[in-house]
Formats: sequence, structure tokens, C-alpha cells
Amino acid sequence: MSEIGFLFAGFAVFWAGMFTYLVILQVKIRNLQSQIDELENIIENHDEV
Amino acid sequence: MFLNNIYALRWKVLPPVAGVAMIGMAALALVTAPTELIEGDVQRLLYVHLPSALASYFAFTVTAVCCILFLLKRDFKWDSAAQGAAVVGLIFTLLTLITGSLWGKPIWGVYWQWDPRITTTLILFLIFSAYLIARKSSSLDSDKSARFCSIYAIIGFLDIPLIHMSVRWWRTLHPQPIIAKLNPALPDEMLLVTLFSVLAVISVAAWFITLGVETELLSQRLLKLKAIAKTNISEKS
Amino acid sequence: MNLPTQLQIGGKLLNANLKQAWRDKTDWITACMFAITALLLYSFAFNLTTGLVSSLLPGVIWTVFLFSGIFATGQSFQQDRQNGILDALKISPIHSMTIYIAKTLANILMLLLIEFGLLLGATILFSEPLFTLELLIIVTIGTIGYTALSTLLSAINLDRNNGGLLLPVLALPLLVPLLIASVEATSASLQQEASTTPWILLLSLFTIWSTAIATLMFPLAD
Repeated sequence: MSEIGFLFAGFAVFWAGMFTYLVILQVKIRNLQSQIDELENIIENHDEV
Repeated sequence: MFLNNIYALRWKVLPPVAGVAMIGMAALALVTAPTELIEGDVQRLLYVHLPSALASYFAFTVTAVCCILFLLKRDFKWDSAAQGAAVVGLIFTLLTLITGSLWGKPIWGVYWQWDPRITTTLILFLIFSAYLIARKSSSLDSDKSARFCSIYAIIGFLDIPLIHMSVRWWRTLHPQPIIAKLNPALPDEMLLVTLFSVLAVISVAAWFITLGVETELLSQRLLKLKAIAKTNISEKS
Repeated sequence: MNLPTQLQIGGKLLNANLKQAWRDKTDWITACMFAITALLLYSFAFNLTTGLVSSLLPGVIWTVFLFSGIFATGQSFQQDRQNGILDALKISPIHSMTIYIAKTLANILMLLLIEFGLLLGATILFSEPLFTLELLIIVTIGTIGYTALSTLLSAINLDRNNGGLLLPVLALPLLVPLLIASVEATSASLQQEASTTPWILLLSLFTIWSTAIATLMFPLAD
């Protein structure tokens, strides 16, 4: 691999790493929030009953 | 109160600031920054390698501080914050090691050198990986696990200067072939780009830490709600 | 409770821990057998029967000490917890630091017994002067250093299913300075160089640091 190849590989790994982690976090937060909303509904319905 | 207000602004301020800074950093690093005479264009990896290293130290410092606060206040939000920051620290440490290897190969001819800083970075990665493995292998609401792992993280953080010192002494005793210095005294233009890159990556790290903390806090909340739901179901039956 | 009383109780706890270690010898004998087996394996792996022995021996010895020591200290609080002794000690007026120091001292004494025995055996196996005063001092300081941290971490190890595997993963990265200093000091001592002093100083610095921080942190683990 040429020098430029290593340069772009480095930047590609860096940016891909950033974006991948950002996407993982956003998906995780969304999943957790929907599970929390679901459980809160269940608990609320149970309290009403 | 003032700190709470600042913290409340994190979703409005951090993402746009980090995003714009990173685009600016990419442009400066790849286009504007002058080409280094000895190492050539591959030297531009400095603008991601060094900021990643500093971002990892920043994240692990946040981890250590949150662990201290947890031990003092016994509030699980600090334990969650410590875990969130530790994950970010590990990611940036990994990026430091990878970008360092990709920079090292064309310059040194090898992907790895037992340079004190790189070796210490690898050990730092192992220490905080062990912290997360230990913490995640117990229940999130386990007070004992949170306390012990906080102690471990603090000891690990404080051990880093000793590790660096001992590896450096070890390397000077075992002479290495003369290699090109990675970053001799930087000219002003490169220094400015480096400083801007450091600020950009640290703002991204701060954003990721807030997201990571949010994830951990939501996990804690989910665990509590599951316990409540389970109690309700068993009462009903 | 005042300091003289704590010291007196600490002495009694140390005595009790040593008696318990002697009664339940199995773990310590297992650690000893592991050390001997590991030493033999290294002999085959690095072909330690030829002239390269003195350059490789320090690393071999210290990795054997660290692995067997960490496995042995991993069981430190296990018996006490199972018998309810740890809970009883926690609610007593005995300070946590006293409990920790007594346990650590007992571990150090048992490990030194194993290590000095191993050094004597290695002297015979490899025909190298391993049983010298300087080397015994290096081994003692190093053992205090790693035992202090691994005893603290063994308390962290409680209530885990993968406990046995987790302790080395936690302890070994922290012990890199100790390993480097011990190996270099041992190597310099074996080759009778004048340069043992800086490494013994680094080793002592790490030992003091690890002992102090482990002693201070143990009460927070309660």
C-alpha cells in the first residue's frame, strides 16, 4: 500500500469508527426508550386497575 | 444550579459544534495543512492520532472522577456516567492504536513498536476493558459491584503514570534501532491545525460521553421498571 | 478502638489467617504445584537447558510467581465469606484496614514460603545463583507489591461466576511496572551488574504505592 493509501485508511477507520459508534448509540437509546415507554404503560394500566 | 443549566444545553450545543468542528478538521487536515518534508502526506494522520489519544485520556479522566463521586455520594447516576465515559475512552484508545499502526507502517516499516506511549496506551486499553468486563458481568444495580469496580478504575487510572515511567525506563535499557521521530517540533501552521483537531475530537468525545451516559441511565431506569412490573405481576397472581 | 488495640487484634487476625491457611492447605499446595508445573513448561518451551538460561530466567520466574500468586490470593476471602466470618468481622469494631492488612500479611508469608522454595529448586535445576540475599530481598519486595493489590482485587472477585478468570485480567495490567522492575532487578542481580539499585528503587516505589492505595481503598469496598 502506498503512503496515500495508509493516510486514507487511517482517516477512513477514524471516521467509520465515529459514525458506527454514533449509530449504535442512537439505536440503543431508541430501543431503551421504547421499552421504557412500554413498561410505563403497563405499570400505569395496572395501577388504574 | 448553573452547572445543571449548562448540562441541560448539551443536546442543543454539542452535536452542531462537534459536527461543524469535525468537518472543519477534515478539511484543514487533508487540504490546508502543509505537507511534512520528511514523512510526507502520511504525517497528516497526526491530526487524528494525537486528538484520539487526548480524547481517550479525557474520557478516562471523566471515568475516574465519576467513580470518585460515586464512592463519595453512592448515587448510581455517577456509576452510569463512569461506564458511559469508559466505553468512549476505549473506542478512542482503539482508534489511537489503529491510526498509530497505520502511521507507523510506512515510517517504521512495522505496524508496532514498543514505544512507551503506545505500550502504555495498550495497557490503558486492557485496564479499562477489564473494568467494563467486571462491571457488566454483575447486575447494573449491584452496589457492591459498582463500588468495587469504581475502586478498580481509580487504581487503574492512578497506575498509568507508573506504567508509562517503567516502560520508558525499560525501553531505554534495551536500545532500539534509530527511528524517525514521529512529531518533531511542529511549524506554526501544523500546530494550529493540530490544536483545532484536538478541540474538534474532544467536543465529539464530550458528545459521545453524554450519549453513553444517557444509554446507561436509561438501562438503569429500565431495570427498575422491570422490577416494578414483576412485583405488580406477582401481586396480581 | 485505639491504635494499640487495633494492632493487637491485627496480630490475632494474622495468627488466625495463618492457622486457617495451614489447616486448609489445599489451595496453597495447588498454587505451589502450579508454579512447579509452569516452571517446567517454560523450561521446555524456551529450552532452558542451554546457555541462554540467565537472560530468560528472570522473566520465567516472575511470570510463574505472578500467575501462581494471583490464583492463590484469589481465594483469600472465599472461606471467610462461606463461614460467615467476613460478615461478623464487618459488624465488629475492628477497622477494615486491620482486616485487610492481616489477610494480606498472611498471603505474603505463604507466598514467600512457596517462592523461596521455588528459587531453591530453580537453583538446582538451572545451576544459577538464585538463592542470594539480594535476590531474596527483590522477591520479598515484589511479593509484597503484587499481593497487596491482588488481595484487594480478590475481595472484588466475590459473587462472580467467572471469578477465577476475572482476577488475572483485572490484576495483571496493573502489575506491569512491578513485573518490569522485578525482572530487570533480578536480571541485573543474576548478571552481578551494578545497576540493580534503580530497579529496586522503582520496585519499592510501586510496592509502597500499591500497598498504600490498597490499604486506603479496602474500607471503601465495605
